[in-house]
Amino acid sequence: MKEPVSEYRLEMSGISKSFGVVSVLKDVNIKVKHGEIHALLGENGAGKSTLIKILSGVHQKDSGTVVLNGAEINPKNTHEGQVLGINVVYQELSLVKDLSVAENIYLHKLGASKFWMNWKELTKNAQELLDSLGFKIDATATVRDLSIVQKQVVEIAKAISEDTKVLVLDEPTTVFDPTDIKKLFNNLLKLKEKGISIIYISHHLDEIFKIADTITVLRDGVDTGSVPVSETDKDSVIHLMIGRELKDLYPVRDFKIGEKAIFEVKDLSGKDCIVHDVSFSVKAGEVVGIAGLGGSGRTETAKLIFGADKKKSGTLFLDGEEIKINSPVDAAAYQIGFVSEDRKEEGVFLPLSIRRNISVTSFGSISSKLGFINIDREYKKVLGLIEKLNIKTPSSEVNVKNLSGGNQQKVALAKWLSIDSKVIFIDEPTRGVDVGAKIEIYKLINEVAKKGVGVVVISSDMPEIMGISDRILVMHEGTFYGELQKDQFSEENILRYSIGETLK
Amino acid sequence: MALTLKEQLSSPSGILKFLVKYNTVFIFILLLIFSALISDVFFTSVNLSNLLKQVSGIGIISIGMLIVILTGGIDLSVGSMVALLAVTFAILVNLVVLPLAIVITIAIGFGLGSISGYLVAYQKMAPFVATLALMTIARGLGFIYSKGSPITFKTYGGLFMSNFANNSTLGIPNIALVFFIIVIITMVMLRYNVFGRLIIAIGSNEEASRLSGIKVNKYKFLVYAISGALAATAAIIVASRTNLGSPNMGMAWELDAIAAVVIGGASLNGGKGTAINTLMGVLILGLIGNILNLLNVPSYPQQVVKGGIIIFAVLLQRFESK
Repeated sequence: MKEPVSEYRLEMSGISKSFGVVSVLKDVNIKVKHGEIHALLGENGAGKSTLIKILSGVHQKDSGTVVLNGAEINPKNTHEGQVLGINVVYQELSLVKDLSVAENIYLHKLGASKFWMNWKELTKNAQELLDSLGFKIDATATVRDLSIVQKQVVEIAKAISEDTKVLVLDEPTTVFDPTDIKKLFNNLLKLKEKGISIIYISHHLDEIFKIADTITVLRDGVDTGSVPVSETDKDSVIHLMIGRELKDLYPVRDFKIGEKAIFEVKDLSGKDCIVHDVSFSVKAGEVVGIAGLGGSGRTETAKLIFGADKKKSGTLFLDGEEIKINSPVDAAAYQIGFVSEDRKEEGVFLPLSIRRNISVTSFGSISSKLGFINIDREYKKVLGLIEKLNIKTPSSEVNVKNLSGGNQQKVALAKWLSIDSKVIFIDEPTRGVDVGAKIEIYKLINEVAKKGVGVVVISSDMPEIMGISDRILVMHEGTFYGELQKDQFSEENILRYSIGETLK
Repeated sequence: MALTLKEQLSSPSGILKFLVKYNTVFIFILLLIFSALISDVFFTSVNLSNLLKQVSGIGIISIGMLIVILTGGIDLSVGSMVALLAVTFAILVNLVVLPLAIVITIAIGFGLGSISGYLVAYQKMAPFVATLALMTIARGLGFIYSKGSPITFKTYGGLFMSNFANNSTLGIPNIALVFFIIVIITMVMLRYNVFGRLIIAIGSNEEASRLSGIKVNKYKFLVYAISGALAATAAIIVASRTNLGSPNMGMAWELDAIAAVVIGGASLNGGKGTAINTLMGVLILGLIGNILNLLNVPSYPQQVVKGGIIIFAVLLQRFESK
């Protein structure tokens, strides 16, 4: 056998990538050896997923080189990536729910040259593969009927059913319990012995220190270098992950917050149990930040309160009185607003004009009893908000789809500002928004609070949440794990609570 | 700033944009001119009033179809509903006083539409499936209650209705007036009423509507009920025109209604469409039928031409969205 050209199985060097004007990766380098488990770390939005997607062929890099086994590769799509031996298990499961486990594992072979599939043999192979992983899953079962853990295992089985050279696992253990994690780790060690290189993405530092050989930390799209696990510790890794300065982006919080809670949640749990035992309160004029990692249940908590998802138990109080919210209609009636993180799918009406978007929540105040809209009043209200929020548009009749992200976000906010909300939940207020619009949105949140509204901001952007909040609640695995007062605000503290650690 | 009409027309691309934007009106006028040129009888009052009478029934159910389609749904039951409700009206008009017969027929239409509405809004059934079921149920009931044969009007009330349906006011057929009034009311509702605004919002983004605190289910329910009531109105009109209610009426009218709405530029995904454009769609379809009749083209080639027009109209609208 020929000796490998280089000691590295995979070398990605000088990788840069931007989406439009947003630069996501800047000159990133990562080198993975044969049979190495290489941990890739970083905060939400640091660029981990983009880097992986460039490796697997989902995205194309703007510059840089990817070298696999000494030869430069340039996968144009995931199929090309797979043929080269790069397999990724993504966080969002990508199984076909109505096909069997075996069919899913060998789905990629459907595109191969053979006309007939030997399902009997494939099912047998799939079963052997699953058994070898040590999980009890029937290869003939329909994926829809599997538990989420089983689905994740099928994903992994699918990835290693091929001639895999580089296996990427993106947060594989979020749904696993400790025994499952142990099984998974045993399997990873077996794969490692076979010489497969594994890139392991996780927020769980414990896991990483148990299983990984090398750590690379990404921060704001730049790699901060790679270190062997043996030469570092958790604290230094956390420091590497942070290391930014708070910029001059945030408005001064110079008014008094109310004494009493305007809104309170007690022991809230969702029907699907993603969110459980959540309790917190918001005072009039207060901005409460909710931090936590992706998948920790932040959005789900807001949707649960707002009535968009079904509650299992828990009580809500508005102005000290108990209220029942079973649907967003109820929530809106109690003057509770919710600005979704998914602007395009859940926030705005893209094909409709700005005017029609904004007035949709405020017909109560601009229409007669019979529902006839006072167009003059509607224009006045909408034009006032366009001016106040500084929405950049030639007229109120422009369709929202023609606006920039920042201006679309302002329209989504305007919808809830046009009625006198008592409490407003804003999920990811500035995702995909440029800096100028960010500052304006922060100012706006500040002004809303000043009027005595209770504001709850959910954000993955740490500097942002520290800059605008009076208090931060940190979620971990579906419930509030810790609370930080203003003098305790630091990325380190948020991160520690996010990953279920205690403060130092 | 928004361009004025003059500014829009001043540049070559402006003219094209203008034509594309008002393509239904444009096609309609072209067809009018074309019809006038190739047939001497076209611009006679007899022919024009016949044309209007012919399209009024389908026109009214097209308006119902429009508001359903605006929410992103579809109502396949309207043609069969016309048959069942025409039979119902013929039975009622022979039994009770005229105003009561009208009210009950419309109420039954509303009720039948409510069943579709309930299935779609509260049972989350696909609109296509729910209304497909209602379609066969209504047609079947029509045959059951009429015992398979037409029921003629026998009372004074029936006579009054047939006079009304076949006469004109100020040169416009009465039933066309009913249709136009419904178009105008719908226009006003869609522009100036909360109901209209909300169904457009629901059609353009149901999830965003839900998260804006809109009673999505209530409005989805209502549009099917209203479509049913409009089908009843159409049924009364077509029954009165011919002085009888037959279970064979309204055959495949739902498809013509959908065609009219689509030619009128509405999106089957919901959220886009206007009453005036649907009126144009109805008139365009009616005009094609009329002129082909005048040219003695048999009915099968007529269908081919109609299909071609639908494709042409929708292709034209694709420029608009670009």
